[in-house]
Amino acid sequence: MKNPYEVLGVAATASAAEIQSAYRKLAKKLHPDLNPGDKAAEEKFKEVAAAYDLLSDADKRKRFDAGEIDESGAERPQHHYYRDYATSDQGDRYADASGFSDFMDQDDAFAELLRRSQQARANRRGQDLHYHLAVDLVDSITGATKRLTLPDGGTIDVKIPAGLVDGQTLRLKGKGAPGSGKGGPGDALIEVEVRPDRRFTRDGDDITLELPISLTEAVLGGQVRVPTPTGDVTMSVPKGSNTGTKLRLRGRGVPRREGGQGDQFVQLKVVLPKSPDPELESFVSGWKDKDYDPREGRA
Amino acid sequence: MRMTKQEFLSSSGIQVQVLELWLEQRWLVPEEAEAGLFFGEIEVARAHLIRQLKDDLGANDAGIDVILHLVDQVHGLRRVLTELRDEIKGR
Repeated sequence: MKNPYEVLGVAATASAAEIQSAYRKLAKKLHPDLNPGDKAAEEKFKEVAAAYDLLSDADKRKRFDAGEIDESGAERPQHHYYRDYATSDQGDRYADASGFSDFMDQDDAFAELLRRSQQARANRRGQDLHYHLAVDLVDSITGATKRLTLPDGGTIDVKIPAGLVDGQTLRLKGKGAPGSGKGGPGDALIEVEVRPDRRFTRDGDDITLELPISLTEAVLGGQVRVPTPTGDVTMSVPKGSNTGTKLRLRGRGVPRREGGQGDQFVQLKVVLPKSPDPELESFVSGWKDKDYDPREGRA
Repeated sequence: MRMTKQEFLSSSGIQVQVLELWLEQRWLVPEEAEAGLFFGEIEVARAHLIRQLKDDLGANDAGIDVILHLVDQVHGLRRVLTELRDEIKGR
């Protein structure tokens, strides 16, 4: 940035009133909203505003004059000007085209063009509205219908397709803002967040569940009930299963868009009785001789 | 981003009486729905412009009224020009 006194065009001895007056004079000319199409005005205005921020603050000015701070660091944070929004659909509420309606009254090709574009504007489609919805992991896997409450108190029923992924955006045709004239309404765009589940974790099309089993089930094997997103199923635990053993339930995972389904993995976890069991203790004492080393091969 | 009146007041730091006045003057024309007024980013930017006109540029209420009316006309004109350009391009 340049010397702030030079930017504002004032002497280093200028009074506060002179600085304000110089700033106002420049800002009136350069303010981006008073120069909607002039890209260069914004850069110049930024410079002028930063210089004014520095010199209008008596303390900062003193420190600058004493050489304690330099002109950098006084830049205003970037912000959006009105002109950045005036051309959006929202700007319709403000833009005023009455100032050249006399052009349209003529009977020539130019007036015809103007009339046609006005008509197009009168029949503009409504805005798309953006919403956020959080669903449970199980609902995202099996599919569900969720009711979304809108800021204005209305509701939309959102059909969650089976297999939806976190961050996916659903488009509901015609559920956005109403259009004008013959232009139909816009769409509702709903970004869906999938809440993590206590039991299931998802990895692509597959899901994993940790299933506690008893010592007896681990050693001798047996039939166990396993929760899946679509309800409980019975699964065989093979003899000699261990903590960490992964079993596959084919086709119990996430439905694929192209057809078929992922798998559910069941990761076993051997759990001993909650309170010490004397019978188990005496049994294991008798079994001790056949000791084995589960840490074999480790450093 | 759509804000209720309360949210708009707290995010812009404007006094409620001031906002009422601006609405009455139609300096701000937020979206109207059954549940009340809704303010968008354009209202935030427009409120910022009004404050700058007042505080930084020293415009009084009458001046702001004139400036906003002209700014809205400029944007109206820019819109029509954009549409004309698109229309000509589309031919």
